[in-house]
Amino acid sequence: MVSIAILGTGPSGCFTAQALVKALPDARIDMIDALPVPYGLIRYGVAADHQGTKAVIRQFERLFERSDVRFFGNVRVGSDIALDDLTGMYDAVVMAFGLRTDRCLGIPGEGLAGVYGSGQVTGAWNDMPGVEPAQIGKRVVVIGNGNVAVDLIRVLAKGPEEFHGSDLSLAHTQALMAAGVERIDVVGRSPADQAKFDPVMLRELGRLTQARISVQGAEGEGKLIEALQGIDGHAPEGATREIAFRFGWTPEALDGTDHVTAARFRRGDEQLTLPCDTVLTAIGFTGDTPATDDAGAVSPGLYATGWYRRGPRGTIPENRADAQQVAARIAADLAGTATTKPGRDALSARVPQAVTYAQWQAIDAAERAACPADRCRQKLTTTEQMLATARQTGDL
Amino acid sequence: MQIALLYGTETGNAEMLAEDIAAHLSDHDASVTNLSDFDPADFDTDTFYIVVCSTYGDGELPASAQPFAEKMEAQKPSLDGIRFAVFGMGDSEYPETYNFGGKRMEELLAGAGAELVGERVTHNASGDDMADDLALPWVDDILAQADA
Ligand SMILES: Cc1cc2nc3c(=O)[nH]c(=O)nc-3n(C[C@H](O)[C@H](O)[C@H](O)COP(=O)(O)OP(=O)(O)OC[C@H]3O[C@@H](n4cnc5c(N)ncnc54)[C@H](O)[C@@H]3O)c2cc1C
Ligand SMILES: Cc1cc2nc3c(=O)[nH]c(=O)nc-3n(C[C@H](O)[C@H](O)[C@H](O)COP(=O)(O)O)c2cc1C
Repeated sequence: MVSIAILGTGPSGCFTAQALVKALPDARIDMIDALPVPYGLIRYGVAADHQGTKAVIRQFERLFERSDVRFFGNVRVGSDIALDDLTGMYDAVVMAFGLRTDRCLGIPGEGLAGVYGSGQVTGAWNDMPGVEPAQIGKRVVVIGNGNVAVDLIRVLAKGPEEFHGSDLSLAHTQALMAAGVERIDVVGRSPADQAKFDPVMLRELGRLTQARISVQGAEGEGKLIEALQGIDGHAPEGATREIAFRFGWTPEALDGTDHVTAARFRRGDEQLTLPCDTVLTAIGFTGDTPATDDAGAVSPGLYATGWYRRGPRGTIPENRADAQQVAARIAADLAGTATTKPGRDALSARVPQAVTYAQWQAIDAAERAACPADRCRQKLTTTEQMLATARQTGDL
Repeated sequence: MQIALLYGTETGNAEMLAEDIAAHLSDHDASVTNLSDFDPADFDTDTFYIVVCSTYGDGELPASAQPFAEKMEAQKPSLDGIRFAVFGMGDSEYPETYNFGGKRMEELLAGAGAELVGERVTHNASGDDMADDLALPWVDDILAQADA
């Protein structure tokens, strides 16, 4: 029986475990996460009003409930335990840490109050522990042309009823309504036909009940352009917000003394100044990735997968394909291995503070029980609350 | 009756459900095959086919079902005498293209002459039902109709 440790319980880590359970039914698999709760960006990135996308979690629950896969939450690799210790304990170690540092624009004024990266904003809306919520104002400029930008726009533009069935907390809902967003200017660097929006995500904006939409420069052909043209002129009765899309503008500077007051852009010789009190950048994430071979191997016994391997790009399905590939490689590398590694027993002894799957289930149950009628969950918002709830179901 | 489950998936929900259905039908020794590994020439009139298929993109088939659809279009096989049922997986967050994947699979097979048994049912990822809770009673019902 071989022992495998997977570091990170986002979709990449979980899909890797799923493929390993199939390829190596006798393997003992331990999944470690820095947070007391599993599932990474499925829980803390995917938008609160996209519960269907979050439902992939039901597959991952199987891992812990029906296979020899254990959860070790609240264990940060690098501080609670060293990577070298783990490679010593396990036959194979898979790094699935993800990458979620917001990329910077690299223009003057980025440090002003009122300027936030999309990772922080979406993390806070998802109640990620330790992430400060953004102070949203009435005039928001969103810089970026990808699906995370659409998530930001949609949440900013929705009225309270449009969050029914989501897990956006009432506190965030109230804060958003109190902000009273009036205008959302969406600006992208590339021309419309090169924007990275998923047409389906754009069409969803065409169902907003509180926001008018205008699109400038949606010229060209293809599904994306059709989707942009399709939402241009959306004007529900009684709308209180405006969304305006513009393309081909390169950000030049954010103005303001303490707090941002305008965002400035350039397109050739033209200049554009958008007065605003909030700037949200959604231009992607960044971080270092290790050097791997084609199948995700870093060095003998050490592998990488997901965003941590490929860089912070791509959707959940892409991580599944990647995870299946690295799992196949591990299965091949471990074929015929007679293990002498202590695996789980050694890890359990080293990290007695680890949150177990049963304890996560207690947190999960508490979150569902606490939820208001028109929400599906009320997340616990701090690590302390999570650990306190976990402790009620066993020693920690 | 020999039963074959064919699944089309992108994030694995349809695969897991196909495996659950096969486990539920353990008396039948049902096989489970990814549509990406299935050739239209493999259809066999002694087998009853249960297709489990999700929807992606703009109402398209999921990645693992696309090669099968291409082969169907290229080979234009006659599926006379083949009987099948379809369980679709979708998400009502995509109202204009809700469950187009399951619908497309039905059209592909029925269009080639195969006979649909029972009604095509859809699981909604944004709904409250677990896929198994919908699919297992549906399968029992379908098989009763297929046997009759
Ligand atoms: C705002 C946002 C919205 C998105 N929406 C969608 C969507 O709707 N649909 C879609 O398909 N994709 C979406 N994505 C993309 C999707 O979330 C990613 O493709 C996916 O989560 C990457 O998976 P991962 O497992 O590599 O990383 P992550 O999901 O980030 O998981 C990494 C895990 O590793 C843990 N970790 C990190 N460091 C350590 C450490 N030192 N020790 C222990 N554990 C550690 C983290 O806590 C985390 O749980 C979205 C992304 C973002 C940012
Ligand atoms: C990017 C994306 C696009 C989707 N498009 C549709 C769609 O057009 N119609 C639909 O009914 N469901 C759609 N879905 C929902 C999926 O079909 C549903 O989540 C299903 O359970 C996925 O099953 P799978 O994991 O087997 O692929 C979409 C999901 C995603 C993530």
